[in-house]
Order: sequence, then structure tokens, then C-alpha cells
Amino acid sequence: MGPGPRRIVVVGYGIAGLTAADSLRAGGFDGDLTVVGEERHHPYSRPALSKSALVESGDMTAHELPAPTHDAFERLGVAATGLDAQRRVVALADGGELPYDGLVIASGSRAARLADRLPVADDVDELVLRTVDDALLLRDRVQGQPSVVVVGGGPLGMEVASGCLAAGCDVTVVAQGRPLTRLLGPFLAELFVAAGLRRGLRVTTAAAVRVRSQGGLSVVELADGSTVSGDLLISAVGDVPNTGWLVSSGLLAGDDLVVDSRGRVRPDVVAAGDVCAFPTPQGVRRIPLWTSAIEQSKVAALGLLRGDEAAELDYQPYFWTEQFGLNFKSVGVMPVAGPPELIEGDPGDAAALMRWRFADGAASAAALNYRIPVPRLRRLATAQAVG
Amino acid sequence: MKITVDRVKCEGHGLCEEAAPSLMHLDDEGDLVIDVETVTEQGDVDAALAAARVCPVAALRVA
Repeated sequence: MGPGPRRIVVVGYGIAGLTAADSLRAGGFDGDLTVVGEERHHPYSRPALSKSALVESGDMTAHELPAPTHDAFERLGVAATGLDAQRRVVALADGGELPYDGLVIASGSRAARLADRLPVADDVDELVLRTVDDALLLRDRVQGQPSVVVVGGGPLGMEVASGCLAAGCDVTVVAQGRPLTRLLGPFLAELFVAAGLRRGLRVTTAAAVRVRSQGGLSVVELADGSTVSGDLLISAVGDVPNTGWLVSSGLLAGDDLVVDSRGRVRPDVVAAGDVCAFPTPQGVRRIPLWTSAIEQSKVAALGLLRGDEAAELDYQPYFWTEQFGLNFKSVGVMPVAGPPELIEGDPGDAAALMRWRFADGAASAAALNYRIPVPRLRRLATAQAVG
Repeated sequence: MKITVDRVKCEGHGLCEEAAPSLMHLDDEGDLVIDVETVTEQGDVDAALAAARVCPVAALRVA
């Protein structure tokens, strides 16, 4: 390799930072590598936090990822607080500085909070689920089977609602519009909502406008004038990229960190994972999902080492969720409108292999309670129209 | 080192196969088959660990 970077700093130690570090080594980088992680934990499986981890007992070590082999210097429990992209120095919360000649920004995102968008009384305890510490706290709090209000009808909100229901709680989801519809489209969304309702979930489709506390309960006031109350308030209203430390770096476009098709912000700085937006056929966007972070990180690591000679990102949408007894995997662009072509089974019987074909020749495929190797699902999603 | 899969946890996402195709694959039913259970060479060990790390349900162990 040519006169590439000799000293690389990776900021962020979720699956994006970890994959980037691994990929740098796999790509031949043998210089100094430092990884900075804000959490005190080693990388863990984030998708599990809102699924099995919520209802399992025991510690969270089962969800830890195996020890890394990238031989990097690890700085855990310290946040990056600033970046001087001209001097090529990352500033740390402990006052330290890390010089680099190649930088990977993988600082991820944090949970958005209701308090950022609407009036929430100071004495309201708004729980979120993003980190392993959040999950431990939440799991502890649902032990006594409190009544739960989940604000947010996306996949995270619905998974958390499912976990709380499984823990024996009385659960109401407050969502603007039918849950999951924006992500999956009405046909699929309704399968999950129906499964939730059968298990005793309550769903309220009105916007939350204010949250107050009364007699130990959190009271969510809705746009239609009604209220929903619970012992526990959990919000799952999206995520906010951790770009605060980049504000004066000159690297942000407005509020956004945007990379090119090789993960580059500039030649000596790449970014990957939930923190950044990247070009997709549907436009430049953030796709804060596990497999997205992995694919982006592999590309960005090589983008940093090889520049224009590195391969471009060819993002293959992959989404999965588990909730209310349904196990769902999809490949291809979502949401999908209308009912699918049934390849096997019937979603009415809660086990089906489905496909949607689009006018441009592309397709999306989904498996519901149907065990299938994902490569086969991918082939279904790329299959051209037949006979 | 030995590669083991927790069959209860494994959901057949297949990210491990992408990371270590020479060591494991998903069969036609979506079940993971470990083709090489014991890895000794550094390249294989690294691939096995990389496979375990990308598993979204942490179902793989290399020890």
C-alpha cells in the first residue's frame, strides 16, 4: 500500500467502530490504531437489547461481542468532545488529545427524547432504550409489572412494548398513525398490530402534546384531548446523531454529517454507522440499523486506506424484528404498499414467505415466522419477473 | 479454538457466513452449519471471531 495513514483514530465503539477497526486491519493497515468509546462497556449486540435481553434474566454478558483482534489501543468510558480537522486532533472529555492522520467517525446516535420536542414536566421519569445500561435499568423497572406507556410506534417502540407485555405489564403504545406503517407499509404493519392486540396490547393513535406527573403516574396528554397514564413512561421516538463534538470541525453540512459512496467526509476522514448519512438509490439518508452500520464501516475503512480505489457502498436493505410472537425478516426497500405475492404459507396463519415486485424490476421479499437462509431471501428479492 | 453456535439464539441472519464463508454456512432450512469446528490458523481464528462479532443475536462463541 502507498503512503497511507500511519496513525488512525476511531471515535465510537459500537458495531460500526468495531467493524471499522477490524476492516482497517483486514485491509492491511498495520500502523497505530486507537479506538475511543464513550460507554464503559465493550461492544455488545444492540439489536438484542430490545428483544431477548428485555425478558431474560441474568447479566448481559450473553450479548457481549467476542474480544476484538484488531490490536487497537482502547480508550473506554471517555467521550470525544471536539475535532480540529486542520490540525488533525481529536479532543477528549478527560482533557487529552489524540492526533491522527486518518480518522473514522463512528460516534453513533443517542435516543431522542420527548422532552426535546414537547413540554415534559421535570418530575416525569422518561425512560429510553439505546444502551446496555438503559436495558438493564428498564428490565429492572418492569420486574414489578407496572403499567407501561410506550410513546413511539416505530420498530423499537413496538419491540419494547412486546417485551413489557411478555414481562406481564399492561402496555399502551401511543403512536402518531398506525404503528410501523411508515416503516413497513399498511399491509405488514397491520399484521404486527393485530398480533399485539391479540396479546392484550392497547394502541392509541394520537400525537402526544404534553407529559406530566400525577400521583406517581406519568400522564401523556394527547392531541385529541384524551390522556394515557402509566407507572412507567418509555419513549422510543427516534435517534439523534452524536455530532455535537463536530460542531466546530467544519465537517458538518448544516446539522448533518454526510459521506460519499466510499464513506468519506474528506480524504483523511471517513464516517460510518448511525452518525452519518450516505448516498442510497432513494437519496442521501441515515439508516440507523445494525447491518447498515456493518456494511458502511467495511466500505469506510477501505475508503480511508485506498481512496478512490476502494469499492463503493452497495447497500442492501435488510431489516428484522421480533415482537408479539412474530419473527420477521425483510430484504429490499420498505415500505411496501398492498398485499404481497405469496410464495409460501399465508400471513393469516402467521407463517409466510412474501414478495412485492415493483415497476422498475426490483423486488422486496419478507419472511414472517418462516425460517429461511437470508441469502435465499436476497435471491427472492432480486428475482426478475417470471412467466 | 472451537466454534459453537447457540441454536436457540441463532435466527439465521447469515452475517456470520458472509464474514467467514470458509468456516460456516446456512443450510437450506436456514440452520447454521459449522463446517470447520476447530480453528487453529490465525487467519481462520480471526475470521471466526469476526463472524461471531457481526452476529446480531450474539449466538456464536469462539473459545
